[in-house]
Amino acid sequence: MEMFNYYLKLSYRNLIRNRLFFILMITTLAVGVGVFLANIAIIKSMSADPIPNKSDKIFNVSLNIWTGNNPRAELIEIMRYDDAMHILKNDIATHTMVHYQSQVYTRDIESKSLTRHQAVVRATTPGFFPLTEAPFAYGSAWQQDHAKQIVIGDSLNQQVFGGGNSVGKVLEIDGKPFEIVGVLKPWELKPLFYHVAYGQKFKATDDIYAPIETAMDNEWAINVRNSSTDRINSVSDNRGKNGYFIQAFVQLENQQQKNAMQEYIDNYSQHRQEQGEYLRDNDNRLLDVKQWLEHKEVVDERMLAFALASSLFLAVCIFNASSLLLARYHSARFETGLRRAVGARIKDVFYQGVVESMLIGLCCAVLTLIFGWLFLQISITLFPALQQTSDIDLTLILLGIGIALVTSFISMLYPLIRSCRTPLSTTLK
Amino acid sequence: MLNMKNISRIYRSDTIQTHALRDFNLEVKEGEFVAVTGPSGSGKSTFLNVAGLLDSFDEGSYELDGVNIQGLNDDELSRLRNEKIGFIFQNYNLIPDFNLFDNIDMPLRYRGFNAAERKRRITHALEQVGLASRADYLPSQLSGGQQQRVAIARALAGEPKILLADEPTGNLDSLMARQVMELLHTLNEAGSTIIMVTHDPEQARAVGRNVQVIDGQITDHSVYAPVHDNASIVVKG
Ligand SMILES: Nc1ncnc2c1ncn2[C@@H]1O[C@H](COP(=O)(O)OP(=O)(O)O)[C@@H](O)[C@H]1O
Ligand SMILES: [Mg+2]
Repeated sequence: MEMFNYYLKLSYRNLIRNRLFFILMITTLAVGVGVFLANIAIIKSMSADPIPNKSDKIFNVSLNIWTGNNPRAELIEIMRYDDAMHILKNDIATHTMVHYQSQVYTRDIESKSLTRHQAVVRATTPGFFPLTEAPFAYGSAWQQDHAKQIVIGDSLNQQVFGGGNSVGKVLEIDGKPFEIVGVLKPWELKPLFYHVAYGQKFKATDDIYAPIETAMDNEWAINVRNSSTDRINSVSDNRGKNGYFIQAFVQLENQQQKNAMQEYIDNYSQHRQEQGEYLRDNDNRLLDVKQWLEHKEVVDERMLAFALASSLFLAVCIFNASSLLLARYHSARFETGLRRAVGARIKDVFYQGVVESMLIGLCCAVLTLIFGWLFLQISITLFPALQQTSDIDLTLILLGIGIALVTSFISMLYPLIRSCRTPLSTTLK
Repeated sequence: MLNMKNISRIYRSDTIQTHALRDFNLEVKEGEFVAVTGPSGSGKSTFLNVAGLLDSFDEGSYELDGVNIQGLNDDELSRLRNEKIGFIFQNYNLIPDFNLFDNIDMPLRYRGFNAAERKRRITHALEQVGLASRADYLPSQLSGGQQQRVAIARALAGEPKILLADEPTGNLDSLMARQVMELLHTLNEAGSTIIMVTHDPEQARAVGRNVQVIDGQITDHSVYAPVHDNASIVVKG
């Protein structure tokens, strides 16, 4: 312990005496580790499991039914209203939800101000809440399919009502009143697995959750991407027609339940084919959350390429720091030689170097966290889609500190070994 | 105390081999003061480096204070250097931004003494070289002769069996050189064994025993000079 303190004192003196050199060297390392860390932060939240306790039980339902004669090669994950109703009405899954997304303008009906808030609407079914484990702060979901009732998210509740229990209050949407029956707690889901379209997957959860029938009755159609083979005049016109715009998710507890559901959708599409619909190979799929996110390529390939580049960059920084240190050890070999001459063992010299690398590593860690945060902000400015992905949490902070320590040790290793091996008789006169 | 038999040290480079020491024999007894002279490049420093365990040798045997050096590992060699040997260099080799106290402290750290024991020894060593009042000076605040005395204090603090000095006065003017030599003589009279390489024939003559190194070999054994009578030298700071 006494030696450790001695080495710490020597290292501190060394850092202070050569501060310009060490600032340069530590900055070099910290930039490398910082870029790397920012990258890991992004990839980590991109590849995070949004619902870890049951991601293997929630499945996206993709039906392979397409009535056009030019089917796209890919799996079709959107379905028609009628298909969705079949998925919804069978009793196989523990929870089922179907949904489409739209956008409305809304205000507190009591408010004197006529300002309307733009709000993202999830037109869905009550199964949405237990399936996604959306946390209610107040109230609960609606009971009737066509109810003029909605559930709102925390941020809209804050915006419109300043928070609190807003159950029973009324929102005006396009001139019509909708009663609030439930308010959610602040809720994050990264990625937003139930809607991973480009530009959506790292968005916040929705503002308004409404019965899908109600949404269609009221023609909430902004942003609805409808692929159709029929002429469809409005959202409500989709009933009984070939307009594809709804996604379906089910919660299946075990293989048995999954098999039953698979059989159901296979039979269903078979049945539709017999009625004259075009059907590709019988390729109806149930993908669990992990497979689904993989299928949708949620972790951007460009990000992975960037990760590779940033680890190479880190390697370059290590080489750089290492060659800087090599030069410094060369100029410090007089002192090393002297220490050896008066009785320091190679071990002692090495140990002293390790203590020094720890001190450097700690300085480096502090800078790394600053740079890492900075690079993350820059990445977000460059790629706004990353907006919601970007937090540096405790694990990442520890990881950053760890990498900084290891990195400075690695940079130090070769120069240190070289310095331990310098023959004594040549360094002293 | 020190016994070298048939030592050879060969420096090899790609093109040439230099026999820095060949068939080198020397025995030094406890309490002796030996002056080593010889032309430049004859192997004096090599001999001192081998003796001080700073350099290895290729052939022969070397026994230091009863310990056979052959085959010792780095830990053992370092420990011998630390406990038995005090080295004094021509360039003093003080660490410029350490004060005198911390410079002398260095070998004691590797010995594992506690703070009180280190302090006692450092103070005593500084007293021995007449610099007790300047423990917190930096080397640059001292004259060359004083710096060399600090280096001697550093060598003494570990209470070594033998002091090895490679041209300790080579960088000093004659007055300061005399003071350093007086110090070495005092130490010798107090019992220290000293081997000193020197260019100065006068210095050599004042020393108990002379050996000459020529072409890597001892050629002239034990020319004993008349006994000096400077027992009453007082070293001033
Ligand atoms: N590290 C070394 N590598 C190669 N040759 C060396 C080395 N050290 C000394 N020599 C050679 O060994 C010989 C003896 O050198 P040295 O012991 O320094 O002589 P002195 O101290 O008597 O002047 C010289 O020829 C010198 O060039
Ligand atoms: Mg020499």
